[in-house]
Amino acid sequence: MARDTATNASSTEDANGKSKDKTSGKSKDEKDKKDEVEELSEEDQQLKNELEMLVERLKEPDISLHNPALESLRTLIRTSTSSMTSVPKPLKFLRPHYATMAEIYADWIDSENKNRLADILSVLAMTYDEGKRDSLKYRLQGSNENPGSWGHEYVRHLSTEIGQEYVYRTVNGDSPSTDDLMSLALDIVPFFLQHNAEADAVDLLLELEAIDKLPQFVDSDTYVRVCLYMVSCVNLLVPPDDEYFLRTAHSIYFKLEKYSEAMSLAIRLRDDDLIREDFEAAGMKDVLLQKQLAFHLARQQISLSIEDEEIEAILNNNHLSKHFIALAKELDVLEPKSPEDIYKSHLENIRPGFTSGSVDSARQNLSSTFVNAFVNAGFGTDKLVTIKEGHHWMYKNKDHGRLSAAASIGMIMLWDVETALNVIADYQSSEDYHVKAGANLAIGLVNAGIRSEIDPAKALLSETIEDSKQRDIVRISAVVGLGLAYANSHREDVQALLLPLVLDKAVKLEIASLAALSLGLISVGDCNGDISSAIVQAMMERDKGQLKDTWGRFLGLGLALLYLGKQEQAETVLETLKAVDHPLGKQVGVLVEICSYAGTGNVLKVQKMLHICNDHLDKEKEEDLHQAFAVLGVALIAVGEDVGAEMSLRTFNHLMHYGEPVIRRTVPLALGLLCASNPLLSVLETLSKHSHDNDADVAINAIFAMGLVGAGTNNARLAQMLRQLASYYHKEPNCLFMVRIAQGLLHMGKGTISVNPFHSDRQLMSPAGMAGILATLIAFTDAKKLILDKYHWFLYFLVTAMYPRFLITLDENLESLPVTVRVGQAVDVVGQAGRPKTITGFQTHSTPVLLAHSERAELATEEYISLSHVLEGFVLLRKNPDFMEEDRD
Amino acid sequence: MVRRAKLRSAELHKDERVHGDTFGRQLKLLCRILYPSTKDPSKLGNTASGFPPPGAGDDKNKDDKDKDRKKKWEPPIPTRVGKRKRRGPDASSKLPAVFPTTRCKLKMLKMDRIKDYLLMEEEFVQNQERLKPQEEKAQEERIRVDDLRGSPMGVGTLEEIIDDDHAIVSSTTGPEYYVSIMSFVDKDLLEPGCSILLHHKAMSVVGVLQDDADPMVSVMKLDKAPTESYADIGGLEQQIQEIKEAVELPLTRPELYEEMGIKPPKGVILYGVPGTGKTLLAKAVANQTSATFLRVVGSELIQKYLGDGPKLVRELFRVAEEHAPSIVFIDEIDAIGTKRYESNSGGEREIQRTMLELLNQLDGFDSRGDVKVIMATNRIESLDSALIRPGRIDRKIEFPLPDVKTKRRIFNIHTGRMTLAEDVDLEEFVMSKDDLSGADIKAICTEAGLLALRERRMKVIAEDFRKAREKVLYRKSEGTPEGLYL
Repeated sequence: MARDTATNASSTEDANGKSKDKTSGKSKDEKDKKDEVEELSEEDQQLKNELEMLVERLKEPDISLHNPALESLRTLIRTSTSSMTSVPKPLKFLRPHYATMAEIYADWIDSENKNRLADILSVLAMTYDEGKRDSLKYRLQGSNENPGSWGHEYVRHLSTEIGQEYVYRTVNGDSPSTDDLMSLALDIVPFFLQHNAEADAVDLLLELEAIDKLPQFVDSDTYVRVCLYMVSCVNLLVPPDDEYFLRTAHSIYFKLEKYSEAMSLAIRLRDDDLIREDFEAAGMKDVLLQKQLAFHLARQQISLSIEDEEIEAILNNNHLSKHFIALAKELDVLEPKSPEDIYKSHLENIRPGFTSGSVDSARQNLSSTFVNAFVNAGFGTDKLVTIKEGHHWMYKNKDHGRLSAAASIGMIMLWDVETALNVIADYQSSEDYHVKAGANLAIGLVNAGIRSEIDPAKALLSETIEDSKQRDIVRISAVVGLGLAYANSHREDVQALLLPLVLDKAVKLEIASLAALSLGLISVGDCNGDISSAIVQAMMERDKGQLKDTWGRFLGLGLALLYLGKQEQAETVLETLKAVDHPLGKQVGVLVEICSYAGTGNVLKVQKMLHICNDHLDKEKEEDLHQAFAVLGVALIAVGEDVGAEMSLRTFNHLMHYGEPVIRRTVPLALGLLCASNPLLSVLETLSKHSHDNDADVAINAIFAMGLVGAGTNNARLAQMLRQLASYYHKEPNCLFMVRIAQGLLHMGKGTISVNPFHSDRQLMSPAGMAGILATLIAFTDAKKLILDKYHWFLYFLVTAMYPRFLITLDENLESLPVTVRVGQAVDVVGQAGRPKTITGFQTHSTPVLLAHSERAELATEEYISLSHVLEGFVLLRKNPDFMEEDRD
Repeated sequence: MVRRAKLRSAELHKDERVHGDTFGRQLKLLCRILYPSTKDPSKLGNTASGFPPPGAGDDKNKDDKDKDRKKKWEPPIPTRVGKRKRRGPDASSKLPAVFPTTRCKLKMLKMDRIKDYLLMEEEFVQNQERLKPQEEKAQEERIRVDDLRGSPMGVGTLEEIIDDDHAIVSSTTGPEYYVSIMSFVDKDLLEPGCSILLHHKAMSVVGVLQDDADPMVSVMKLDKAPTESYADIGGLEQQIQEIKEAVELPLTRPELYEEMGIKPPKGVILYGVPGTGKTLLAKAVANQTSATFLRVVGSELIQKYLGDGPKLVRELFRVAEEHAPSIVFIDEIDAIGTKRYESNSGGEREIQRTMLELLNQLDGFDSRGDVKVIMATNRIESLDSALIRPGRIDRKIEFPLPDVKTKRRIFNIHTGRMTLAEDVDLEEFVMSKDDLSGADIKAICTEAGLLALRERRMKVIAEDFRKAREKVLYRKSEGTPEGLYL
């Protein structure tokens, strides 16, 4: 009803303006009134008399006079030009006569004149409406002439009343037909669209619940603004309106053959049919465009079975490694960096002689392993493990440390499957079972986000998984590796490999739960019934004492990931979970719920999560883990919707202030999730504060969150903070370990890789990415037993979220094509008049370039036309046929 | 290496300035005791590397060689706090900005979302307060902080912030100190020049004294709205409308301008012969608006000391910005805004500099937010053209002498509360050909009233008016050598 109040405000304001004049001094009120009458200037007086005369004439029985009287009333009203500051004069003078005219109208018999009077009354009612919707009433009774002829304000007012009337009619029962309203609305919508009031048009149809009627009115001039407005609304609308909006916007784009835009909406809808339809339609129009769409799909890891080999390769992300390394060459960051380059410990303020001894070298080496892996991720070279003496590094680590060390090869050679497999093969045949396990994990890491026909991950890992004689850790790593390699692939053959592990009660809970997690990663967000029933069954049948274990939560996370973003579709499983009479049931219930509403911004769910956080539970007596999940949930639900995300930061302050330790420990993690790879200064400050908390767990989580927030940004301020933390915590191995990890994350891919799961102008959420971050964060809810103990390799789950934050422009042969682009902070231009700039504070670069969070790029040259609507990731360019050389100056 | 040493010594130099020479000497001494091999304290940083680079065992030599290159000294990140602050509430309590500003469903949805979150916050906090009152805890913490602060506390001025937890302060007694800032002090409130509480012994900063009453504001801010309203203005409809569009509407309904895609005008200048109601209209604006109304007379901006005038202008606009939305009214702008010319007098030049500052504030590098400027002058032709160019002053509103109709209304307004005799016919004065301004008419009415008072009549008769007019008109033409040489 915003429009309603707004209009009322505007009209009442005018009235107020008048009444203020009148009542400025109460004592002289009477006198002033007289004055006002006197003060009328001559023209005004004349106008008033004329109007009064016309009204008088309408009262007379002589019908022949009515027509000219109405005609002149009409002209008088229409021609009155008003300033913004006051009510048009004729309307002001006719006010006292409104009631009389309404009576006259009631007395008249139906005729053309009566219709015309209705028109005039309708306009008059606009200024002195008191919620009776007279304007609409008379409008519906009047002659059906174009409402636009009475001016913009009138049409706006009318559309407000239509909305109110519609609500009134639908609420007050017997559902009378609203066809008359609809037909009037459909008259008004084109008027709005022609007059730059797209927002009003969309709002009107939204209120009439008929947004699907919009596409017929939209043409190539208006679609940009209409669709932009609609898409911006989606995040804030309640279901099912949001889906209608997306579908309508999609059909508009589709109708106008804007397949790139259409595709991103189809992906957002997760509607496979629409995706295929767009894809094929694009193929009919333009093969190159189809390739561009394939790049969009590949970013989201959606597979389509396509005959074309080239497109298949794009969809499989096979080009990623090549282009990433090319980018590194271009930016001159190919040279590997050692952990010391990252720590810059010479800048830390520690007096020599006080340090070293207290920190065990195994921890130190382990952190170096991770830092090395994250920093050199994807480049294929480093200074520790891929060099000739790489084998020595393995043995500088303690047993479980070797696992991570071996797995780091996978991270370093990320996306480059063929080279990596050769290197890893050595380690896979290693005697040491930890190294072997690490190699398994490495295979998974390398294949993250990449598909390949030869299917190396499955081929190499399936044997180990089925072989129950293998050591647990080796099997576990194979299970996890499989999960990472096939994240978001929805492959049934891989699922079949893992499913037995979940169901088999003889298998340790550790393996079963990680198998469940892997299954969740593989079929993220597809509501797979088999898997979900298997996991629920496992939860019911397993020994109660066992489930209390740390690992139970991953069983739940696996289940929850199946429903990522699926909203209501998780209802049934939530019901089933209520039957589980074990604290785990409650925890998993919360997990499923938060995952199913991930990124929707649903306020009711946030409220529910806060209610869960309300209680102060005694850890000794009750299980309180579900509160931790609820805290994560607030972030998970709010992320992806700017207003909610910003507001939830405030909520976290309160949670930190009032919460029990379990809540306080999770708040930093939630902040990390909310701002992954987006180092907002205020968030950094908050986290920096928490990183000095008395509770070591809070501090550790805060430090990790700092790493996550700055992941891949090279943020200098954060680097400084972390160095300070390193000297602050130089005697506490756990904290120091985490500081090192955070430093590694901060310089992830030497500042070229982001872990933010949102891409394509922050419109689309990568399910695999979100799942990976979530798995890591859930591991941090019990950091002592997992990350800080033997299971530090949980950090590698971030791999599914890692993606270069580059913009690479390609020519028609998919070769890199440097062009100049402007890169700047994105500006929300929805609803602004004219052609506002979409970026601000830009700098001009030549592609390939890096884009930070909430940055946007636009082509700085007219020479090429981009086939993608968002300049992010891979963008295909085509020569502009209209480009002329002399335009260059 | 050389560069580093230089930088280091520059730092030390700074320290020395603070602590006197002794500190540096002591440090050198200390270094010699602790590290006999190092002579220069500036090399201290080099030896302070944390751990040996792991895995670098085999190629240590090479590493040593690279050391100088790699371990480049990096300047510390400048501290975030301690800058002069921009307006607006601080980050913790700020709500997200809502775009678009046009009225539409999207805006409402966003507002609703903010409201929902605020409601949830309220609910949560209330529940928490109910379940686990924090008062005791807060009390306890309060006591602890009070202990740390000690008593009595000294009051000083913050001179400069060095890094996140050190600052230079000066106490009222004179000397400046380099002290630490306690962690519980809200650093967002610290800005150079603010009053702070100092620990009585350690002199560390333990609190901030906030005074929001700026002496500048109290002078210029309008506490009491004038009584004149738009109703008290006879005629001038055109002018009223123009000033409303340019000054009032942008503050009350900015979305209208945005919808249209234009930037609202920044300021207006009211000009016209004396007595035509320029100041009156400004008063009416002040009466009507809820924005902060700052009024200043051009001559006020001329100060005794060099640089004070421009400073005053800066302060004026800073205050206006802090209290935005606000309207600045500068009356008699020709006092400082006259055309620039070559001048040898220091005073003249100072006045011109004041004007230059005004030019900068009106349309300079920094954009002022919701600050509207109204100027008034009798002599627009003598103003500097830079002052009234579009962009600084977008609308020039002329106040002509009233025409017959307006004169009638002005007479009506002024005689509205006088008791007039039957024989008074105002038309006689209205229709006369004299150049009467609004002020003249008021003067005639007042004069007539005075004449009647002199004769102790309770009514003002036509004769009074006639005499009054003679008097006023005579006085008006007095001094002008009208027709002297004709």
